[in-house]
Amino acid sequence: MAAVREFESEIVAKRSVMDDAHLVDLSAPSGLVAAMRPGQFVEVLCRVDGSYDPLLRRPYSLYATDPANDRFTLLVRPYGRGSEWLGQQRPGATLDILGPLGNAFEIRPKSRHLLMVAGGVGAAPLVMLSQRAVARGVAVTYLMGAMDAGSLLPASALPAAVEYLVATEDGSQGHRGYVTELVADYIQWADQIYSCGPEPMFRSLRQVVRQHRVTREPRVWVSVERTMACGLGACLGCVVETRRGMRTSCVDGPVFEMDDLLW
Amino acid sequence: MADCSVDLAPRNPRELRLANPVIAASGCFGYGLEYAGLIDVQRLGAFVSKGITPEHRSGNPMPRITETAGGMLNAIGLQNPGIKGFLKKYPPVWEGWRVPAIVNISAERVADFAMMARLLDETPGIAGIEVNISCPNVAAGGYCFGWDAAMSAEVTRAVRQATTLPVIVKLSPGAIDIAGVALAVEAAGADAVSLINTLVGMAIDIRRRRPILANETGGLSGPAIKPVALRMVYQVAAVVDIPVIGLGGIMGVEDAIEFFMAGASAIQVGTMIFPQPTRLMTLIDGIDAWLDEAGFQDLSGIIGLANAGMLARRTAPAVAAAG
Ligand SMILES: Cc1cc2nc3c(=O)[nH]c(=O)nc-3n(C[C@H](O)[C@H](O)[C@H](O)COP(=O)(O)OP(=O)(O)OC[C@H]3O[C@@H](n4cnc5c(N)ncnc54)[C@H](O)[C@@H]3O)c2cc1C
Ligand SMILES: Cc1cc2nc3c(=O)[nH]c(=O)nc-3n(C[C@H](O)[C@H](O)[C@H](O)COP(=O)(O)O)c2cc1C
Ligand code: FES
Repeated sequence: MAAVREFESEIVAKRSVMDDAHLVDLSAPSGLVAAMRPGQFVEVLCRVDGSYDPLLRRPYSLYATDPANDRFTLLVRPYGRGSEWLGQQRPGATLDILGPLGNAFEIRPKSRHLLMVAGGVGAAPLVMLSQRAVARGVAVTYLMGAMDAGSLLPASALPAAVEYLVATEDGSQGHRGYVTELVADYIQWADQIYSCGPEPMFRSLRQVVRQHRVTREPRVWVSVERTMACGLGACLGCVVETRRGMRTSCVDGPVFEMDDLLW
Repeated sequence: MADCSVDLAPRNPRELRLANPVIAASGCFGYGLEYAGLIDVQRLGAFVSKGITPEHRSGNPMPRITETAGGMLNAIGLQNPGIKGFLKKYPPVWEGWRVPAIVNISAERVADFAMMARLLDETPGIAGIEVNISCPNVAAGGYCFGWDAAMSAEVTRAVRQATTLPVIVKLSPGAIDIAGVALAVEAAGADAVSLINTLVGMAIDIRRRRPILANETGGLSGPAIKPVALRMVYQVAAVVDIPVIGLGGIMGVEDAIEFFMAGASAIQVGTMIFPQPTRLMTLIDGIDAWLDEAGFQDLSGIIGLANAGMLARRTAPAVAAAG
């Protein structure tokens, strides 16, 4: 596994996306970005030196990487104290970042068709995954759900080869309803399914999959969200219960096989 | 370069000699290995393992942690592999390490503390034991050992009889008379005391109208508890002769210096490690640099400097002899 570093990172650029969110391009020490894998995350210290508020780092999934320029991108939606602070930082500002952390979404060598199911900012790690998949010539269908049209990723965020379908709860774009209502049509087609989003979405996803899947295939991989402190498997504050016992979501996860999770 | 080395068990022939006074606290540093890829763990004065119990524990339900103003609450529930699983897994690795590894033990029965101490005594790779007495005593209807001087002394005596390893007793801030508990464990054979453990606290999710932590209450740690910790270290250092290890909310060099001046011979760092792990290294260098700049040749020069009670006791025998 690639080494974890605590490093100073400069905001090199910032763009708006999804109404109120930001895409933040960050610098990294030479060589580190090449080791970053889709599904992994970094922990950002969202305060200035000398302040203890908020005390703990905030985890953010990798949205994209640019190894040639030692850069990577995060998708940050202002939500509470940490993300508001981060969203206010301007290009040129320096951040203290710990990472890369966690395990990754793996694409099995034989997979030809991948289905991705994203909810809200859970879209981030699946953008990076779809880029890797397309680069390997694998077909990707990317389903995204959100409250309304403004909370969706634009199609331009994904590689052109990706089939992108959306669902909004208010019907302002795409299918009216939940993104998981689009999943059934793709279960036979998909070799693997990947998902990231809020827990209620996982519960509906599990239901749909159980209804339409005959064997254990396609396997379903989900990235779970837990409050974290250390990010390194030391505090045991972020665990999830699996069929193999308690696992940390920061080191053993955040990606787990859905069938392994007991929730 | 000031001399920052310290022996935390001067009464014990086995000694607990640290190259510097910075120790990673229990529960905040895993078993050392979690941080080995990120910082030079061998440079630490020492580290303390996660709390080990007689049997394997899978811990409390989630959520287990939540952030509070200047601190955090945790109710991990002592998730650990149990003493047997622990012994197989970690001490063999530590044997090859230069940094002293201290094992934190927790139990709900006096005999279980002794049983664990006996097993640790025979194990290579272990430099000392830290006894966590912030646990419920089954024999006293679940009343916390550490809140009562007699119960704290009973645990200490049992551990002392079971091992010749250096024994640190970790005091609970829930004790009403912390100095009284410290004196009792000193008399019962503790080589050193460490303080403080977390303070019991709570946070409520007003939307869900329920406590945030599944366990309802949790231990408060971080900068929010520093003034309480400092006061207790001050009170304890004024009365005991054994070394005092201070902890609670240390986030930087100046916090550490405060604890030394209050009477601590060494410090532990817990919550700070989560957001700022590499600060453990800058803390070691920073304490050294601070002493140099302030003109002290060694760390012992500042221990207890701000503690009137400690200073008076140190000079008292000399005055008596002169009189
Ligand atoms: C592995 C991982 C990857 C993540 N990736 C991203 C990402 O790519 N982009 C992104 O924007 N965020 C991501 N998050 C979430 C992010 O870490 C923060 O939780 C989020 O930014 C809110 O932090 P805050 O400090 O702004 O809010 P806080 O001040 O911590 O929280 C404000 C309030 O919201 C509640 N709260 C906090 N987070 C959530 C939540 N996620 N769902 C529901 N309630 C919540 C808190 O309990 C509190 O009441 C990720 C989390 C994890 C664990
Ligand atoms: C997540 C977490 C787990 C802890 N686990 C233990 C433990 O197993 N045994 C113990 O004696 N103290 C444990 N502690 C207490 C710390 O060692 C320390 O006493 C306390 O956090 C105060 O120091 P700090 O403010 O520097 O964190 C734990 C603290 C935290 C935050
Ligand atoms: S955040 Fe500490 S173990 Fe995962």
